[in-house]
Amino acid sequence: MKFLVVDDFSTMRRIIKNLLIDLGYANVTEADDGQTALPMLQGGNFDFLITDWNMPGMPGLDLLKAVRADARLSKMPVLMLTAEAKREQIIEAAQAGVNGYVIKPFTAVTLKEKIDKILEARANAA
Amino acid sequence: MTSVTALQEEYGPTIAALAGALAAGDEGLFLSELDGLVERRERGLFGELRKLTSDLQSALVRFSIDSRLVDLAEKEVPDARLRLDHVLKLTDEAAHRTMDLVEQSGPLAERTAKQAEEITTLWQRYRSRSIAVDEFRDMVRRMDVFLESAGKDMGTVRGNLAEVLLTQGYQDLSGQIIRGVMKLVGELETALVELVRLSKSGSKGNKGAAVSEVRGSGFGPAIPGLDRGPAVSDQDDVDALLSGLGM
Repeated sequence: MKFLVVDDFSTMRRIIKNLLIDLGYANVTEADDGQTALPMLQGGNFDFLITDWNMPGMPGLDLLKAVRADARLSKMPVLMLTAEAKREQIIEAAQAGVNGYVIKPFTAVTLKEKIDKILEARANAA
Repeated sequence: MTSVTALQEEYGPTIAALAGALAAGDEGLFLSELDGLVERRERGLFGELRKLTSDLQSALVRFSIDSRLVDLAEKEVPDARLRLDHVLKLTDEAAHRTMDLVEQSGPLAERTAKQAEEITTLWQRYRSRSIAVDEFRDMVRRMDVFLESAGKDMGTVRGNLAEVLLTQGYQDLSGQIIRGVMKLVGELETALVELVRLSKSGSKGNKGAAVSEVRGSGFGPAIPGLDRGPAVSDQDDVDALLSGLGM
């Protein structure tokens, strides 16, 4: 399973990458904002997207919308991992089609749970 | 008397010319002198009006800067202070959590290494067939203890390492907060510079006068891109600097 982790802070990308490796997902690629991530997603055969919200260039919400608007990517599981914690933002992300939303700071257990849940739901839908 | 004299000097010749032109029946001269008179009055009036308009305009600009400054000073600066306080708290918590986990893990790793070492000595005797029966029993007993505790301890250490990793998330969170404060400082700087420019209109301010100001509490960590004079970049630099000074 190929993951793309999008966050403008390299420390956070490393943290997520390491946690994913611990969870058994060794194939992890990084991008520092939506603008960089979108062409990677379009050409990279990714299976799962984990993105921050607040990033310069293209924020995570715009990336999510772009993914949902792209016929080839529209079904991609997207987990938002962000410090943005306002109710209306979470609602907005949900309306844009996010599959999961984790608030920073987060725990390894939370990340695992959300990923498992998303993959489970996808397996059931297939 | 002087103002009357000034009026006489300014308008006397024109009025005389007007009266003369009227008496002589010179319509063209009369009208051109009259136009000149009116224009002279208007010029003064427009000058006053222009000055009034520009005063009003700068008062309005100053008012808008003032109210932005008031907003910044009353609300956003205290907010920024709180935000920076939070950064302090985040970094403090993360540093302590990391050190707690390291302190917790150290003895576990040490115990495992020590037990392994003890067994290794017995194991080598066993391999060279020079172990006594009692020693062999002791080795097996130690082996049982070691396998169980090493598995458990290393599991704990592994969990602690994962948590150390996760704890570094403070960098992202505090970085975001600091970015916000930096934006505010930029805005504050713009408003202040504009205010200084308005209040000093004409005279040039002395730029960067406070850069080399020495503060009793120190400057805090060196910040890349912010020139506060020569700074060291890591511990090697500190050591090199101290040894250069003969320490």
